[in-house]
Amino acid sequence: MSANVKITPFKKVLIANRGEIALRVIRTLKEMGIKSVAVYSEADRGSLHVRMADEAVCIGAAPSPMSYLNIDAVVTAAKMTGADAVHPGYGFLSENADFAEAVTKAGITFIGPTAHAISMLGVKSTAREIAVKGGVPITPGSDGVVGKNFREVAKKIGFPIMIKASLGGGGKGMRACFEEKDLERMMKTAQAEAKANFGDDRVYFEKLVLNPRHIEVQVAADNYGHAIAFAERDCSMQRRHQKLVEESPSPFVDADTRKKLQQAAVKLVKAAGYRGVGTVEFLMAQNKEFYFMEVNTRLQVEHPVTEAVCGYDLVKMQIRIAQGEPLCIGQDEAAVIRCHAIEHRINAEDSERNFTPCPGTIEEWIPAGGLGVRIDSHMYTGYTIPSYYDSLIAKLILTAPDREKLLARSRRALGEFKVGGVKTTIPFHQKIVNNPDFISGNMDTGLIERMLEAEKTDVKSEK
Amino acid sequence: MDTKLITEITQWLKTTDLAEFCYEKDHNCIEIKTREALPEPAKFTCHLTAVTSPALGFYQSAAKGKSLPLKEGQAVKEGDSLGLVETLSQKHKITAPVSGTLRIISAEEGKPVEYGQPLFFIEP
Repeated sequence: MSANVKITPFKKVLIANRGEIALRVIRTLKEMGIKSVAVYSEADRGSLHVRMADEAVCIGAAPSPMSYLNIDAVVTAAKMTGADAVHPGYGFLSENADFAEAVTKAGITFIGPTAHAISMLGVKSTAREIAVKGGVPITPGSDGVVGKNFREVAKKIGFPIMIKASLGGGGKGMRACFEEKDLERMMKTAQAEAKANFGDDRVYFEKLVLNPRHIEVQVAADNYGHAIAFAERDCSMQRRHQKLVEESPSPFVDADTRKKLQQAAVKLVKAAGYRGVGTVEFLMAQNKEFYFMEVNTRLQVEHPVTEAVCGYDLVKMQIRIAQGEPLCIGQDEAAVIRCHAIEHRINAEDSERNFTPCPGTIEEWIPAGGLGVRIDSHMYTGYTIPSYYDSLIAKLILTAPDREKLLARSRRALGEFKVGGVKTTIPFHQKIVNNPDFISGNMDTGLIERMLEAEKTDVKSEK
Repeated sequence: MDTKLITEITQWLKTTDLAEFCYEKDHNCIEIKTREALPEPAKFTCHLTAVTSPALGFYQSAAKGKSLPLKEGQAVKEGDSLGLVETLSQKHKITAPVSGTLRIISAEEGKPVEYGQPLFFIEP
């Protein structure tokens, strides 16, 4: 061990979060012999994380801006309870550089990257710059507003391309252009739309990746410049950019591509001077070429999938890195694939009615069990889901020696999982694991939308 | 079960002041309760108005240097200062929501308080 290694073991950690992820972190803290502090809003008095932590303090009213997003209240709570570190979980303040800064300023360790790394990777343009610097492929584009030479720029990128409004967002001012002959016309339309919506007709180009897959790589990096990358997760099963199913390894990625993905992820992490655990997200084209999208500078919802595949507790790894410990494993150990794993995000939503959230009281809670089943959840019979927060009620994580056995296990576990009192997305997950494209591993980010479209047409033709 | 008998007993019960009547045949067990024997339903009314903490932080009765001791039994007017709760970067003022008599002071100088914790009770 080199001389500059400085380890400060934590005695007490505050979890700046709620729900299943707060429980997830408390569990590891218990195993490590570290005391836990829960914070909660008025709506979460009856929540499991409040009961399971060693201490709990009420930090504010139910709406998250007044509690879980209130930096002053969370840092005051950490100071008041004498916590030496803060774990941000995911969502809420986990990717807020100001929060990381405020925690550090208060003399408390932020379990995550530096505020500087968070803010650099949080801005799309600087993140792309870091990727370019690190030699990580990004989606080819015009790199800025296009001018009169737009024809040459478009040809250089190669069709199809996406024309995007410079000030745009939310899908407005976006036009796909598949062939050179349409370029002039599409350019005019996009510019007119941009002008009408944003008062600015400037546009830029980006390569359009058709039927892409969402492939992401879990990474971990310590304070001493070591970084490792785990087997990829395939998160192509999403609806409106919300992931529903994540699996690892991806049925689409071969050993060679896997190695390239891991190398790219490590390069990016090193170029950014990143520490802690994180995820590098890529868009993968049908020819297996991949492009850097963004970095999630925190623990992710789907981290248990990787935990199952590699066999390591990622929260423990994250805490040990924050304590100043060097990484406990090397790249070869991190890349080991022990099994095939999948996660189903069970939400309290009505999948028959456009996935509308259904908060309410859990009248019956019979979770799935048996070999290869892990459930991370904060539900219990009689618990009332508050309407203020997200609708995730459980993560059903399954493992098996191969994908075929895994999907059989998924069908079995989803079938025995019974929730009474609120509508859940379990029936929709059952449709996914019985979908022929999904079964054959042939999914892309558009598959769920196609499934929903097909359902609508089926209903119409029945009428 | 003899429903006719049950109806008759119910009718008869109405003519008495009995509140509960149990009857067991073979072990000859009769259990009768009058209304007085029933537990009184809990009646609880509170005329006091609670003043709760607006934030998680440390309670101070007054800004530094300006001591203004509050005493139980003293009169307060709506809007009167009752001190403040200090967080790492903010000071949240506490004012009396109603006029009346300060009945209970549960806030302690310099002590940590949680959001929503009652600090005072005022009798309007």
